[in-house]
Amino acid sequence: MSKLTIALAKGRLLAPSIKLVESLGYDLRAARASRKLVLASNGAQFLIAKASDVPIYVEYGAADVGIVGQDALRESGANVYEPLVLGYGLCRLVVAGKRESQDAEWKTRAGLRVATKYPRAAQNYFSTRGLSGEIIALSGSIELAPMVGLADLIVDVVDTGRTLRDNGLVELDEIFKSQAALIVNRASHTLKVDVIRQLVEQIESKQDF
Amino acid sequence: MLTPQLDKQLPDGVADLFFNDAARKRAAERALADTFTRWGYAEIIPPMFEYYESLGAKAGPQLREEMYRFFDRDGRTLALRADFTIPIARIVGTKLFDRAMPLRFYAIGSVFRFKEPQAGVRREFTQAGIELIGANTADADAEAIALAMTALRALGLDDFRFTLGNAAYLQATLRDLALNAADDAALRDAIRRKNTAALAQLLAALNLDSTRHTALARLPTLWGNAEVLDRAICIDDDARAAIERLRAVVAQLAQFGLADCVTLDLAENRGMDYYTGILFEGFAQGLGFAVASGGRYDNLIAHFGHAIPAVGFAIGVERVMMLQRTRASVAPEVIAQTHSARIEDARARGRIVEVDVLNRAEDALRAYARVRGAREIWWRDGAIENV
Repeated sequence: MSKLTIALAKGRLLAPSIKLVESLGYDLRAARASRKLVLASNGAQFLIAKASDVPIYVEYGAADVGIVGQDALRESGANVYEPLVLGYGLCRLVVAGKRESQDAEWKTRAGLRVATKYPRAAQNYFSTRGLSGEIIALSGSIELAPMVGLADLIVDVVDTGRTLRDNGLVELDEIFKSQAALIVNRASHTLKVDVIRQLVEQIESKQDF
Repeated sequence: MLTPQLDKQLPDGVADLFFNDAARKRAAERALADTFTRWGYAEIIPPMFEYYESLGAKAGPQLREEMYRFFDRDGRTLALRADFTIPIARIVGTKLFDRAMPLRFYAIGSVFRFKEPQAGVRREFTQAGIELIGANTADADAEAIALAMTALRALGLDDFRFTLGNAAYLQATLRDLALNAADDAALRDAIRRKNTAALAQLLAALNLDSTRHTALARLPTLWGNAEVLDRAICIDDDARAAIERLRAVVAQLAQFGLADCVTLDLAENRGMDYYTGILFEGFAQGLGFAVASGGRYDNLIAHFGHAIPAVGFAIGVERVMMLQRTRASVAPEVIAQTHSARIEDARARGRIVEVDVLNRAEDALRAYARVRGAREIWWRDGAIENV
């Protein structure tokens, strides 16, 4: 049987993803204990990669399968299969701004500047609504941008909404909901059809309880 | 130092090929041409560019958007060919429609698409493909798939599998639903990506009759061996015919001994405004994206005047090259110090002989022969020296 390579997203999804993978009979203690990026267990290989890179590894076939948030998946635009959602890592991609933007006035303003780690999703949101958003791509601490006048709005993921509140921002609109998903390379899906099916069914059975 | 104008020597998505890469590419093209020829396919060479209105109007919206367009001096819009299928459809629909059918054509060459950077994507790339025109039968479908597989084998790729679906099945299942464009696109996308969760949400919002609902909800799971054909729910005769066609194609492929190389996948629905029947993609071990893709397009040639069914595929030559580990030799066998009748003789027998035109000293010529990878040096006095 052919060997699977599975990419796991670093960050807040990593701990629950490791738990899920270990419930399938793999041993990933080494991932918790060390900073190793490649691990082997029970005939499978595991890659620990940045969330935004996981869809790329899978699209190119460097990994057969990946576990990643739908937010990072959509942002990548990767052409992969996404057969399962995994029920954890729940969050939402939202448009937020300072409290004074709360009236609907922001939708009618020209020349809005929007700071985000999700330029594709943000661009898509603004252009499909005919809004002229100038997208400013940042790589972290997005909430800072409106506070210092770099941007009028932000597009970012929120979990509890606490970070927004702490920085004086309010949610203006929800773009989409996200959770962890299992993604599969299109070539692996047929070249390793039996192992992939087995993996998908195994995870499904864990979810049913 | 580069001159400022040459800071960026090449636009994105094109490449210079020379030495080993050029030799490998030509070797792959020759192997493909030989294979297609032996199956009775004749070469067809459409122009590199033609009127946009004939190429663009018949292409799907995505392909149309990706076409390179420019103006002729009389103001008409031209486009570079973005595939071979549309030009061949034009040629057949306007010139060859009254010939004995089927017609079998192959084409090999560059096609051009303006694409965003993505896995395995270039803007000028080489397609090698066939079109089998004038036969809407399971035998024709199976021949196209079997030839694609045989062609990959001729290129030295043995570890491959093909996915096989039928666009007609989903078309039948979605017929008369009158979905708006956004719902339709979202539904097809969720099915194509096997996104069961998103599909369930979309279906819940659409309020379909229960047979159709179940038929669609099941689609992302209908992949695997021929058993999936039994699980497909057919809402009408067209859907049933689509499933029966797949069954017949798989049976035919079994005759070729190739049925084991196929994964059926009923969720496959790329290029919906193009394909009308079977559609397939070939994947080879070691590459994460398809090396071959094709399908049946029975409505395309009709746009050019005559309704003639057809099936075809294209192999991505650069993608195949990524997988080939072999190096094609570009070294001369012999470096000769000077010209002689013996050299003509050797060349006539197929040996590769290069003559020194720099009048090198002996040691310099030996050093050059080593760098070039030649095996022999033929000296002026007739002596032969092994390198």
